[in-house]
Amino acid sequence: MTIDFYWRLPSHGCHGSLRDTAYDRGDWSPISPRNVAPGLDRSGADDGFRYVDHLSAIARAAESVGFIGGLIPSFPNTDDPWVISPLLARETRTFRFMIAFQPGFLNPVHAARMSASLQRATGGRTVFNIITGGGGPSQLWWGDRFSHDDRYGRTTEFLDVFKGVWSGEGFSYDGRFYQVQDGGLSPLLAREEVPEIWFSGSSDAALQSAARHADYYLSWLEPFDQLADKFARVKDRTAALGGEQKCAVRVDLVARATEEEAWAEVRAGFEGLSPERRNQARGGPTDSVGAARQQALRPSEATRYDDLIVAPNLWGGFSLLRGGPALGIVGSYEQCAARLDDLIARGTDAFILAGTPHLEEAYRVGEEVLPLLGSKAEVLLHAAE
Amino acid sequence: MTIQTYWQLDVTEDAARSEPGARPSGRFRDVRTPALNRYDYYVQVGQAAAQTAFDGLFLPHRPQSDDSNIVAAAIAREVPRLGLIPEFPASSGSAVYAAKQAVSFQRQTHGRLGWAIAKDADAASRAREGDEVPDEALPARVDEFLTVARGVHGQQPFDFAGTHFEVQGGGFTAPLNGVAFPRVFLQGESEEALALSARTADVHLFAANTPAALRAHVETLDALAAHASRSVGFGVIQHVLAREDSADARREAGRAGLPDTAIVGTYADVAQRLADLAALGLRHFVLAAPSSLEEAYRIGQHVLPRFRALTERVAVAA
Repeated sequence: MTIDFYWRLPSHGCHGSLRDTAYDRGDWSPISPRNVAPGLDRSGADDGFRYVDHLSAIARAAESVGFIGGLIPSFPNTDDPWVISPLLARETRTFRFMIAFQPGFLNPVHAARMSASLQRATGGRTVFNIITGGGGPSQLWWGDRFSHDDRYGRTTEFLDVFKGVWSGEGFSYDGRFYQVQDGGLSPLLAREEVPEIWFSGSSDAALQSAARHADYYLSWLEPFDQLADKFARVKDRTAALGGEQKCAVRVDLVARATEEEAWAEVRAGFEGLSPERRNQARGGPTDSVGAARQQALRPSEATRYDDLIVAPNLWGGFSLLRGGPALGIVGSYEQCAARLDDLIARGTDAFILAGTPHLEEAYRVGEEVLPLLGSKAEVLLHAAE
Repeated sequence: MTIQTYWQLDVTEDAARSEPGARPSGRFRDVRTPALNRYDYYVQVGQAAAQTAFDGLFLPHRPQSDDSNIVAAAIAREVPRLGLIPEFPASSGSAVYAAKQAVSFQRQTHGRLGWAIAKDADAASRAREGDEVPDEALPARVDEFLTVARGVHGQQPFDFAGTHFEVQGGGFTAPLNGVAFPRVFLQGESEEALALSARTADVHLFAANTPAALRAHVETLDALAAHASRSVGFGVIQHVLAREDSADARREAGRAGLPDTAIVGTYADVAQRLADLAALGLRHFVLAAPSSLEEAYRIGQHVLPRFRALTERVAVAA
């Protein structure tokens, strides 16, 4: 069995290093001498470049080292994945575009047409990361007034309609959130493959919806046994409904030639943080069950970087150094590969990996870590002992 | 204001051209990969328009074929300089999300996006699209859509509570708020459409018509806009068929399935007829013809220079 590895595209700006929280690539921070800022030259004049040129470099790097594609996140302050994907479609060849989006933001018939068009533009390289929970008050920023559980109901209906119109003409639907009469994609569009659907969400409402529509259930990294339990539960639940669910993990890596070098990178990042920053990064209010689970892992006070080591090669302080989930993997190339193997053994069928900076780390992880997967990493670790 | 010319990239024109699997034959060794497809043709049409000095591409909303927003983005990085104006219905989803997509597009393409909101389809077509908004509420929906989209783009925090859209504490922060909002193109000849444009359009595109009818529409909308203390640009979506001599033009028109309102004639005739429209105050010309690639070269090479020469004279005389 082979495993799919995706590499994340930072549509929210990119750090040049984990040691510094400034977004010094692209136009996401004020211009400074060391800021690689596509768009402006040293005199402050337009240089013709845009942030998408940096994203293109990352996508092409990831493609060239064997990643199957990349997740393009969607937050209030990101560039939009529906725009980034087609912009990069023709300058990549095999890279799959995993579009993160919240179904409530698009009419499902329109979304199906856009998706089929993107499939045509890319030769079938469109993947979805459907997001439903999260948000809390920021849902109103987006103009979305539905409650947490209603949003899952809406997501289920959205995917009913999305897949329904894709199956051809003459589709009708009378739901609580969506109604369609005699709709459907034209034969030209309907012959494209429905994009693979990845699904996030840790609540009961999410699992219910995932069991019905998801190809992959996606989780942030959790302590390995806890994650294994969760995946087993998701797979059982789907099987009970007559379906089959694959499971995937989204995880950051710091992979270096030696374990010492890897931890030195993390330590330098941690020690560069102000005490306020260390506290404030406990996270704000959320109605995301997944985010709450991550917050619960973090000790209330961490004065040293190694207070945040949760398990061998597992560090819980990533969210202090960049936005996103707290847990990530730190270690030598062999250790990182062995930890990924551990996760595969515990039911992981696919990964979305990330590292900072995204361009250089795509090469490092793709060329040094991924080739060690299988028995190789374990053998090398034993040989070293 | 200078005249802007746009070439219409209609994804349903020449539907079999560059479509994988169309016109197969076993007689030649076909080494084309699936990655060679219809989108290569879209790029070529765009590049033809760019090379022949059009100002932009207009991509009509065609529910049965490729989505105009996806096509516009897919070709943007290979089509230099041109403005890109995808047309889409106001039923596409959240106004906030549409604005966010627009801002990303603007950021990455040096501000080349325009927004054309499609004319509302009839009730049965809307029901096929999952759009349950009743007839009488359609203009208000477009109005709210644009108000919210412009609001989140221009202000922070932005709050809005309407019938169709609701936002609390919205609005984009840097660097997403650093680009111009796309120019908004609306259409339609009804009283409601003109009233809506007077309130919210940057440019109003009329359907091709006689000069007298267009003059009446221009005057009506101009007065409505002045009443709203705004100014709206005027344009037209015009099919054209131009050839070196008029007999060729007539013969080709007989084959082409053109609308009755198409302008058919020699290069000089067509340029003159367009200049007559410019004299009515029209400044945005969306030109359309079947066989989009070849005709883009032809119109761009032979008609546009004559049209420009005529309208420059008009501008000087004025």
